[in-house]
Amino acid sequence: MSSRHKQLGIGGAAVLSSAFLFFVGIPYGISAPSNIRNIVLSPLFWPQILAGLIGLVGLGILVSAARAGAGETVTAGQDQTPDQAQSEPGNWLRLAVMTVILVVYLAAVPWIGLVWASIPAFIAVAFLIQTRHPKTAVIAAILVPLVLYAFFAHVAGVAVPQGEFVRLP
Amino acid sequence: MSFFDNLLLGWELVSNIESFLALAVGVVVGVIAGAIPGMSATMAVALTLPFTFALSPITGILLLLGVYKGGIFGGSIPAILIKTPGTPASSATILDGYPLAEKGQAGKALGMALYASCTADLISNLALILFAGWLASFALNFGPPEFFTLILFSLTIIAGVSGQSLLRGALSALMGLLLATIGLDLVYGTNRFNFNDPNLMGGLNFIAVLIGLFAIPEILTKVWDPRGNDGSTRQLGGNWVSFAEYRACFKSIVRGSVIGVFLGSIPGIGAAPSAFLSYSEARRKSPNRENFGKGELEGVAAAEAGNNGVAGATLIPLLALGVPGDVITAIIIGAFMIHGLQPGPLMFVTNADIIYGLFMGLIISSVILLLVGSVAIRAFRFVADIPRGVLFPAVLVLCVFGVFAVNNNIFDIGVMFAMGGLGFLMLRFDLPAAPFLIAFILGPLLEDNFRQSMLMSGGSPDVLVRGPITWVFWTMTVITVVAVVRAGFRNSKQATQN
Amino acid sequence: MKKMMVGALSALALGLTAGVAVAEYPERAVTMVIPYGPGGATDISARTLADPLGKVASKPLVMINKTGAGGATGSVAVQNAKKDGYTMLFARVGSHSVNPAMKATLPYTLDDFRFVGVYEINPVACAVEAGSDIKSMDDLIAKVKGSPGSVSYSSSGVGSLLHLAGAMVLREFGVEKPLEQATHIPLKGGGAAATAVLNGTATFICTNSSALASFVSNGQLRPLMVTTAEPVTGFDAPTSVDLGKPALQQLVGWTGIAGPAGMSDEVAEVWGKYLTEATADAGFLEKMQARGSVIRLMDPKESQDFINGQYKIFRALVDELGMRIEG
Repeated sequence: MSSRHKQLGIGGAAVLSSAFLFFVGIPYGISAPSNIRNIVLSPLFWPQILAGLIGLVGLGILVSAARAGAGETVTAGQDQTPDQAQSEPGNWLRLAVMTVILVVYLAAVPWIGLVWASIPAFIAVAFLIQTRHPKTAVIAAILVPLVLYAFFAHVAGVAVPQGEFVRLP
Repeated sequence: MSFFDNLLLGWELVSNIESFLALAVGVVVGVIAGAIPGMSATMAVALTLPFTFALSPITGILLLLGVYKGGIFGGSIPAILIKTPGTPASSATILDGYPLAEKGQAGKALGMALYASCTADLISNLALILFAGWLASFALNFGPPEFFTLILFSLTIIAGVSGQSLLRGALSALMGLLLATIGLDLVYGTNRFNFNDPNLMGGLNFIAVLIGLFAIPEILTKVWDPRGNDGSTRQLGGNWVSFAEYRACFKSIVRGSVIGVFLGSIPGIGAAPSAFLSYSEARRKSPNRENFGKGELEGVAAAEAGNNGVAGATLIPLLALGVPGDVITAIIIGAFMIHGLQPGPLMFVTNADIIYGLFMGLIISSVILLLVGSVAIRAFRFVADIPRGVLFPAVLVLCVFGVFAVNNNIFDIGVMFAMGGLGFLMLRFDLPAAPFLIAFILGPLLEDNFRQSMLMSGGSPDVLVRGPITWVFWTMTVITVVAVVRAGFRNSKQATQN
Repeated sequence: MKKMMVGALSALALGLTAGVAVAEYPERAVTMVIPYGPGGATDISARTLADPLGKVASKPLVMINKTGAGGATGSVAVQNAKKDGYTMLFARVGSHSVNPAMKATLPYTLDDFRFVGVYEINPVACAVEAGSDIKSMDDLIAKVKGSPGSVSYSSSGVGSLLHLAGAMVLREFGVEKPLEQATHIPLKGGGAAATAVLNGTATFICTNSSALASFVSNGQLRPLMVTTAEPVTGFDAPTSVDLGKPALQQLVGWTGIAGPAGMSDEVAEVWGKYLTEATADAGFLEKMQARGSVIRLMDPKESQDFINGQYKIFRALVDELGMRIEG
């Protein structure tokens, strides 16, 4: 993905989200009382300004991308880091797996408790990023959540979620 | 009785082992709490409060002040080492601190953070002692219209942290402003983008957004490309900050401290905007402007000076007016009251000894911070040596625990993950994260103060230019915007000519 | 290996639970939710009470802040918690009588909670800046009526006690439409609301006397009245009875402890006992009174009646003035 493609992408996305905000987001997402005396005090006033500005900036990005394209100038080289340039199916696959891990992690916290959810999440992420120290990672996966629990529950006085099954002291 | 007699009297009150111990314990607790993401300085001070009930007033309050100061410095440690700000105030430190750590110069960055913190702390304390009365009456002139213009000016910081493209910086900032509107409307109490969900009614938790935006994308990048960066080993680096380097940054440190004192003495702004303002000013003035954001030592110095400069100055409205400038000072006021003391102008008359005792204690605390900080840096340096395959999952779990602890809410963990996804996309699309964050902090302040001004005036915009303070900020805003736009045009011209 | 460990631990835990199933409440630590941030009136009150409560309770009490949306976030967490008495709430006037009266969109009602006791009453005081030409309530009312729109009052936000208090006081003193004749300026938090009066952003403020005490004793604010029948120490101002407005006696702040509705009688009894012992603690009384609150313990029945009574009065006023938030 070249810098110019990226610019066209974000510019277009900004213009579209601006339109979405104006026609759907703000009318349905914000409720305003009917008896407002002054328009500048309305709860809608500021979000509408923001939606407008997002559209304008989006247009600006599109225009500058188009101009850069017309002049064939390569500003692309400088704001690209090499490791971001290529994307393989493996990248997206790992990202998808990570998303699943995070969603399961989040869902598991109220059910089995923060500590017991963190241990498998730790191990899963460690293997996902192909750790070179699998044994250390497993040991750390057990110790880190337990130590954090001890600190937050007993020193900081936080009610760490315990879940339905195994309660820690 | 002269000023110096008072100071001597104050010195007698604090020159005992308990006071020194209270300060030292406080700073240690603060640094540790600050270094744990999610455990903000505020929480640490709140947790320490019950312990002060049993102490004498001055010892108890010194303990709290120690925690406060330690906490603000402590936040810079994870910001530099693992790109996770320990407290909101240290988010500006990430911008250059983390790149330095990546280059194997974490030791330099941490050392500079400490020296800048202590210097700014000292300047801030001196400002408190010398100018408390004057700055307090100045701060009392800040009503909603003055705030509005100040925040408007502060938003021009965005240009300073936008990176290469001002437009992309602006887009990132607008996204932050939009996300900050989630919650309940200030004036009418109606729902705004919260879909009647009680978890969203309070708005998105600031710390969850902050950690999500900076720490999680780093982990996702590692997931994206597990072998990238693998060859480079990070190490603390034996090199420490040299005196020449400190001197090179000294101007920025002093400038940052003054910004911190100024913003700290006005109730309701806080340390994070001050750090960003100081950072962007340092960048603007520096000949190495291009290197900012890529690992410039001066950037770390400016950011840390900006946030620690606030620490002493927030006590100005507290002691001189009895007005808390932020949540931390609100808790400290609670500690005063439990001991039957009422901060305010009268306290300089009725309990002058305690006030001057606190002043002396504050000066000592800067020195203690330097000592404790040096030890803390040595204790935390091993973090830089942990292999990434173990460090990153540990950071994830740490962030989850920390973000939960902020408001005891599991929902916030979800917010952090979602913001992490957004932050990763922004990284892929070259949208800078710093403008988003600044806008997220300042946006609600801008809107609230605008609407409060309109309520005051009954809808007439005249109130926004009601006095000299507003004129000054309007002028500064216009000058900055013109300069930024001109520089922007010049850059794009150069780009097309090349 | 991990599975084995989890298995072993759960077996252990099951064994433990089975062994003490008949034991009395509480069997383990109780989470006490404070729905407001650290340093606020509710937080300080709750943490001051936590000390004597911790001595009488047989298991630890974990105090946690769950802030947001004027107390709604924390209240909802307790509303939705298990009804086993291990999650309790520090309910406050703002979250449990003003908010339900004003907000149609509030995700809870008073019926969702079971109150085990109100332990603290905070008198409300109204004050203006010390340099102001308003010297009494009569001056204030005359100014509101004489030049509508010139008087404003500050609050800590929409749906806070301060918001309602300002309107209620003006209405009681005969201002027909307090929301149109005077301007409500919402700020973020009680400290900011008091500062707004100090720096002239707002004309007056009505809030808990403890929030104003230091400003009054420092001569920065001038008290105009207190809503209680008895005078408040440190406030050289007439009471609501002196001014012939006894109805304002209902306008007071309070803090109490509640659990989710449907909590067992056994739990409520235990808490009644705890509160009776804790509120008699000398250190607690001294600290609370130093901050200007009146310690008065109500039993569950009395608490419920008191809160419902206050709610009805507030609700009637809200409906009369059209202050209800529908959206």
